[in-house]
Amino acid sequence: MKKLNNIMNVQLMRELGIVIVFVVILAILMILSPNAFARPANLMNIFKQASINGILAMGMMFVIISGGIDLSVGSIVALTGVVAASFAHPGEYPLIVPIILALVIGLFIGWFNGVGIAYGNIPPFIVTLGTMTMIRGVALIVSKGAPVFGVTDAFENIAGAFLFDTIPLLVVYFIVITIVSAYILTKAVFGRRVYAIGGNEISAAFSGIKVEKIRIMVYMISGLFAGFAGLLLASRTVSGIPTAGQSYELDAIAAVIIGGVSMSGGSGRWYGTVIGALLIAVIGNGLDILNVSSHYQLVIKGAIIIVAVLLDVKSKERTA
Amino acid sequence: MRKVILMVLAIMLVMSTAVFSGGQQENGVDKYALMMSHMTNSFTITLSNAVKAAAEDLGVELVVFDGGQDVSKQISQVESAINQGYAGILIEPASVDGIKPAVTAASKAGIPIVTINQKITNQELADAFVGVEHVEGGEIEMKYVVEAIGGKGKIAFLLGPLGSDGQIGRTTGYYNILEDYPDIEVVYEQSANWRTDEALKLAENWLQTGVELVAIVANNDGMAMGALKAVEDAKMLDKIKIFGVDATDDALAAVAEGRLSATVSQSTEAQALAAMDALVKLANGEDVPSEIIVGHTLITKENVADFQ
Repeated sequence: MKKLNNIMNVQLMRELGIVIVFVVILAILMILSPNAFARPANLMNIFKQASINGILAMGMMFVIISGGIDLSVGSIVALTGVVAASFAHPGEYPLIVPIILALVIGLFIGWFNGVGIAYGNIPPFIVTLGTMTMIRGVALIVSKGAPVFGVTDAFENIAGAFLFDTIPLLVVYFIVITIVSAYILTKAVFGRRVYAIGGNEISAAFSGIKVEKIRIMVYMISGLFAGFAGLLLASRTVSGIPTAGQSYELDAIAAVIIGGVSMSGGSGRWYGTVIGALLIAVIGNGLDILNVSSHYQLVIKGAIIIVAVLLDVKSKERTA
Repeated sequence: MRKVILMVLAIMLVMSTAVFSGGQQENGVDKYALMMSHMTNSFTITLSNAVKAAAEDLGVELVVFDGGQDVSKQISQVESAINQGYAGILIEPASVDGIKPAVTAASKAGIPIVTINQKITNQELADAFVGVEHVEGGEIEMKYVVEAIGGKGKIAFLLGPLGSDGQIGRTTGYYNILEDYPDIEVVYEQSANWRTDEALKLAENWLQTGVELVAIVANNDGMAMGALKAVEDAKMLDKIKIFGVDATDDALAAVAEGRLSATVSQSTEAQALAAMDALVKLANGEDVPSEIIVGHTLITKENVADFQ
């Protein structure tokens, strides 16, 4: 019983670590900029700015818990954004066409990644590095290298509209996707299998889990979410930009890692990822408001990633 | 084994004919190369299309190479072009410093080389430069900003990647004009790296501060469009005016609709025509000035119809 208590405490410590970092940073920013940063409107703004990265991070979380990595999501964002915008010109196709296309393309690229990893036995880093490069090329080809403009108002409203005139739809999507992801990870059999193959693939296979199938599905989830994020970014910027989404995969990975998901797979909680995504948005927003140059922002963001993971590692050492 | 060797030889033969046929004279028409730094935004696409059109008008053949924002790739492309006997090379450099070896190689080989849009550090190695003065572009943009906001108020700058030619030049131009207007205060000055999504986030965050901005002045139209979205979302377009540079299609449309206050054209067609003309003259042994500067054009609601 005492041992169980001990384990519970350590688990709590690990998750508290990131919460403490989050609260401290919030407090610092509130003190430095009480009139701008802490306003309710700005807090909603931060939520909105966290949404696209948050959605990518949710997909990335499944992949990393399963013991993999998905570098292709930033390029998927660019390709699906360009394709969606191309099919969203006024008077051409109904709104559902760009939406479906973005989701299907994302899903397909995820499937391709998954098959390469599960059946081709190629390391995830390599497969998704390859698709990241290929898909960026395809995005430039289909857009002929230039941004796609001239989308309908309805398309702009996909990300630009508000629920009850107050909550940006972007935030609503982020919340819905978080709830669905949290349910799958914690309640569904599939979620337990994702943890199992990430923790120990061989014993998972022995216990009758179809490892290949789970692996492919994990990358399909990541691809699907990335396709949705691409649609949202194109709607938000009112254009499909073939060079958009560069390094978005790194921000998504950072959110997951800051949130306490282990890079070696098998562990991590969904709410950690939510805090990770919010933390990245908070830092960006707070430093913009304080007029800190974007170059310093990179240094600070990188340092926080390292500190967050360091806290995680230190708390793990205490268990061992 | 013999079959393999034969096949390799056959392939090499085919390839070498292909290479040698790419020589200077093809059907009696001179062949020129255009080296683009990259082909991934509206400006570079417009520029390369304009050079193609100019080459057609002059009755010469033009091949376009995409450097993929990689200076070492661009150097290799120039080296291959030298060996393939092009009559002249027009280059939009991927790096103003790093491209030096390629320019040196071309001038050693006696092939005329003209830089377009960006001056290189060792500009004396090239035969000519054709382009705009970014400082002038910034001055034209800021002159109109001053007029539009009545010479006073708080303004914000959206800058290109810090240290890039366009960013330094245009921003210098802004401050040249602002010297005479002490009532205008620059409260924010940040880079959004030419990108729409970064500019959108940055402008959203500025609007949260409650600082009463009267203008957001962007180094390019991509960032101006991001700022425009943020300001429109906040329903503050009646208070904050937005300005850009480049005259991209969506910026022109926004100017026509009265949403974007102004954009400044780099006169891309005029640059292309002047550059191609200079290169052909050089290849035919004529002299051209070492610097050909093309003027910017301010585009507002009044004259936007001429550019669409």
